[in-house]
Amino acid sequence: MPPGTNAKHKTSLPKTGKRLVKRDVEVADDLDEWKKSKQLLKPKDQLELTEGELKEIITKVLTTTNPQLPDSLVEFDYAEGAFKPLPSQGNVVVLFAAQGTLLHKDTEEAHQQMIEQGIDPLSLKDSTDNLLDNDADEELSIPPETLSEGSKEEGEEPKEEEGKEEDEETEHKEEEKAEEDEEGEVEADVGAKTATSKAPAKTTGRPRKLTNQFNFCERAALTYNNPTRGQETQTIPPPMATFSSNVLQWIIYDGYQQDYEAQQLEKELERERREKDKMAVGRPVVKKVTGKSQLSEAVQGRVYECWKVLERMVNQNTYDDIAKDYRYWDDPSDEFREEVGTLLPLWKFTYDKTKKNTVTDIAWNPNYYDLFAVCFGFLDYMKPIQQGAVCLFTLKNPSFPDYICMTESAVMCADTHPVYPNMVVIGLYDGSVEVFNVQASCKEASYRSDNVTNKHRGIVWEVKWAPDLPDGELNFFSVAADGRINNWVLMQNNLAVTTIITLFMAKDAVSGPDGTLLKVKGCASCVKFHPKKPLVYLVGTEEGLIYKCSTAYSSMYLMTYAAHQMPVYRIDFNKYNTDIFVSCSADWRIKIWEDNRLEPLFVFDVGDRVGDVKWAPYSSTVFAAVTTEGKVFVFDLNINKYKPICVQAVVSKRKNKLTRISFNSKLPIIIVGDDKGCITTLKLSPNLRIPCKAPKKQQHLDQWTLQCMKLDKLLSLVREPVILSLPEDTAGTEES
Amino acid sequence: MSNEVEETMKRIQSHKGVVGTIVVNSEGIPIKTTLDNTTTVQYAGLISSLADKARSVVRDLDPSNDLTFLRIRSKKHEIMVAPDKEFILIVVQNPTD
Repeated sequence: MPPGTNAKHKTSLPKTGKRLVKRDVEVADDLDEWKKSKQLLKPKDQLELTEGELKEIITKVLTTTNPQLPDSLVEFDYAEGAFKPLPSQGNVVVLFAAQGTLLHKDTEEAHQQMIEQGIDPLSLKDSTDNLLDNDADEELSIPPETLSEGSKEEGEEPKEEEGKEEDEETEHKEEEKAEEDEEGEVEADVGAKTATSKAPAKTTGRPRKLTNQFNFCERAALTYNNPTRGQETQTIPPPMATFSSNVLQWIIYDGYQQDYEAQQLEKELERERREKDKMAVGRPVVKKVTGKSQLSEAVQGRVYECWKVLERMVNQNTYDDIAKDYRYWDDPSDEFREEVGTLLPLWKFTYDKTKKNTVTDIAWNPNYYDLFAVCFGFLDYMKPIQQGAVCLFTLKNPSFPDYICMTESAVMCADTHPVYPNMVVIGLYDGSVEVFNVQASCKEASYRSDNVTNKHRGIVWEVKWAPDLPDGELNFFSVAADGRINNWVLMQNNLAVTTIITLFMAKDAVSGPDGTLLKVKGCASCVKFHPKKPLVYLVGTEEGLIYKCSTAYSSMYLMTYAAHQMPVYRIDFNKYNTDIFVSCSADWRIKIWEDNRLEPLFVFDVGDRVGDVKWAPYSSTVFAAVTTEGKVFVFDLNINKYKPICVQAVVSKRKNKLTRISFNSKLPIIIVGDDKGCITTLKLSPNLRIPCKAPKKQQHLDQWTLQCMKLDKLLSLVREPVILSLPEDTAGTEES
Repeated sequence: MSNEVEETMKRIQSHKGVVGTIVVNSEGIPIKTTLDNTTTVQYAGLISSLADKARSVVRDLDPSNDLTFLRIRSKKHEIMVAPDKEFILIVVQNPTD
């Protein structure tokens, strides 16, 4: 606390001394009340007073004089050089001072104010005097009741002061009344003035009444309340739709995928637009037709595919036992049989429309192990059948072919392109060749040789795809009964033909009618291209000869084998050793040849016309043949060089004749075709497909090498010179 | 093409043990059927929702994968379903016949 304030406090103490005393009394009263309930805490050094001392009344006298007031204050006067007494301050203490705003009407100031308001103070004074007089008169007539009321009100006042008080009160009342009257008079006065003449006060307008706390009156006006009014409108509610959906991972994935595709499309369009701008005067842009028809076409395609698969499913259920056999069943009795095997018949494939046709060719598809092509034609020339077909069957659907290509003439042979498995070439009975793109359409051939000029003049016995030309054009060879071997090239929209060779007989020209000389032509019945040398091929003829030819020379044969006495039906190269080939003929014989050796290595007589013979793809010494008797012969030269290891009648001997056979390249399955348009699937038992066992010292060798070794070993046994010359009998000469 | 589709459907119907074939469109409404009305409607409704669920399962496991076919083997029948975006083909077969 600053010392200044402290001092001030001290100085103020004597001034408030009187009050402090008063407050002490009050505190004592409070204390009494408090004493009643609480025990009084006494300070230790409190005086112990006796009863008498306590009851003694000590009188205190309060005086107006301030004992602490300084009575002789002096001030040093520098002018006089002496102390001068100051006047006493007196006993007055000012606690509060406020300037009032009320004026007495008799004062100069009040007069001034009145003049400003336009009131003559002098006249007012007169009138008030008059009024006072009147009031004095009236006072007398005031009923005593009012007086008594007034006395009653101030009954507590001392009687001495009563009269005075009453006077004062009446005076006040009078004054008030006077004022009111005065105002009324003034108004009346002003009103009279304005009515009678134009007074100077009038110019200033009606004098403003100064409001103070005595004449203030508040005025208020209430305006009409506007009635409240509500207005509502309702708009048509926006249409609502409930949308609910699941969000799964794949839905998000699809969303992104769609977005990506849209972006790609956008880019594509952008690029096209830019290219168009660049070209400026380009060729007319071919618009893609993405109409509804195309879309529905695509859907139809999908529906068709789905139906196909469903049909396979139905078939799988129907032929459930066969399917299991096909996959898992191996004849367990083979273990107890030596060197003999069996064939297990599986499905039979037929097509209603070709039930009368003979199966003229069957071949597995090089790309799809379960797909094979079947040609329906005829071989019995006494009962010609006009129409033919090539059907592509799959093992997965034994009841119906996957692709059907109907032709107007009997189909005699077919070949599937090894690179483009949808390209199938067929040779027809009427000498023409056709190429089908089965993926595009089975109804219309993609290529067709001219029916009049560009065709063979005899039955086309075999067709074979050749390796593509350097320009990438597809081409194939065809062999026909007219003795020609043609090469056909698939051009943009037609077939270009080149005759490779016209087979001739190594005979002089025979004399024809009318003395003409006729060069006798050979009559090809089958052909086989060398698997490793694309130029070299073997042609079997109806005369029973086999010619080894080259596409490079058209006028000579590389070699001529006097193979058979009857038409050669099939030649097949061994899969492991391409110098070895097998041939079969209508003369009941199957012969195995080695290249450049005029004599056959093996000759087997099977007792009937041999329709077809094929080397097995899995073994170098196994081959199979079918005879018209309806029997399938399986030979394994390694096991038995003289007898077949399996002879099984697959179809009934009287009704059916077997015509063709084919090994599946992957599965131990063969298919055989008969002359009633039926293809039978057969499973080879384990004895017919024994793999080579590697010798103990050469465990590292693979199956291919082992198979080749097996064949070579066999051949070395057979290659012995046919005529053995007797060794010289040295002993005999000695004797003689 | 539609001709071949028709033929295939007929052929399947003629197969041994085939009870019926149904073609359902994308909205689950049967278009073609060889069964009676109530059975068809029941099959169409139930199978389409099952196919949706099955597809969802396959796609959820691997979004780049998709459901191609569905075979349901029951004691009495085998129901073969080919679900597509735009259609569902259903074949009901009794394989024990």
